[in-house]
Amino acid sequence: MPAGLKTVILLSFVLAVGFLLIILSCALWANWLPLLVALTFVLAPLPNALFAHCGGDDFSSHDSSGPVDLGRFLTSIVVVTGFALPVVLTHSEVVRPGACVMSIIGGALVYGTILAYSAVFRQDDEYD
Amino acid sequence: MSLPRSDYDPRRVCLNPFPDFNFNLGKHRRTIGIYLAGALFALANWTFLDAAILSAHAHAPPGDVEIPPPVHVAFVDWVPGICSLLGMLIINLIDKDRIRGDDYGDSSAVWRARLFLFIGFAFMAGGLAGSVSLLVLKYIMKDYAEQYTYYGYANVSQNVALMLSAVVLWIAQNAQTEYDYSLTL
Repeated sequence: MPAGLKTVILLSFVLAVGFLLIILSCALWANWLPLLVALTFVLAPLPNALFAHCGGDDFSSHDSSGPVDLGRFLTSIVVVTGFALPVVLTHSEVVRPGACVMSIIGGALVYGTILAYSAVFRQDDEYD
Repeated sequence: MSLPRSDYDPRRVCLNPFPDFNFNLGKHRRTIGIYLAGALFALANWTFLDAAILSAHAHAPPGDVEIPPPVHVAFVDWVPGICSLLGMLIINLIDKDRIRGDDYGDSSAVWRARLFLFIGFAFMAGGLAGSVSLLVLKYIMKDYAEQYTYYGYANVSQNVALMLSAVVLWIAQNAQTEYDYSLTL
């Protein structure tokens, strides 16, 4: 279907731009620490994906179990870590402010792509 | 035979019940609260790590004479945060239904759950008090420059944010879902 195809192409383009920004922020100043931001944002949806199927017994189906909560808590921690890491590194003058801004924008693009992808191509059997 | 008063619930923890937080967030209230708690938790730890990393990389401004900084973030600075973390862990390991006594269990289990809740909150309060005393004793009393008292302020804000995170998590997990409403109604 053409609509899905367009979305895929757009999302992959945005993902490529995000990674480009992150790698550029490392390579321009020859300091490869901001690459950790890419790693963080790639790992960010992992806890939710892991713990999403732990909840959901038959009748209290939506969001009221411990493992699901833990997954959300961890996801939130990882996302904030992704934004905080370059700021902290800039504050202690390990990386340049330019690299900080570029890696934050790139990381946000990567994470936004992952979120948008999972929102658009959600499996149809999740009926809530 | 004397009946208990109608407004008296023997299962509740506090003499004055927690205020009922009815924000208009609908059924996502619990989810939003948990995300917020996680964000606060990460923010707290990054605030302190910022101070620690800054202390490890401290140097004089360029062109100035290189003097070794008078104070560093040492292990003492980590202790309040570790106390708060332990307290948060203990608080969240307690089964919430056990405190409310929903499983009609023996009263000693409820008593033990409340004891551990108290220990957890005592750890958190101890962490907060420790961070404040650290700020005063280690940084303010010695008249360091602003650059160095920042370590102490970061420590205090770490512990405040950890406590806020625990409170938000507690409220979010105790929020009544739609399902509970339909049961009580």
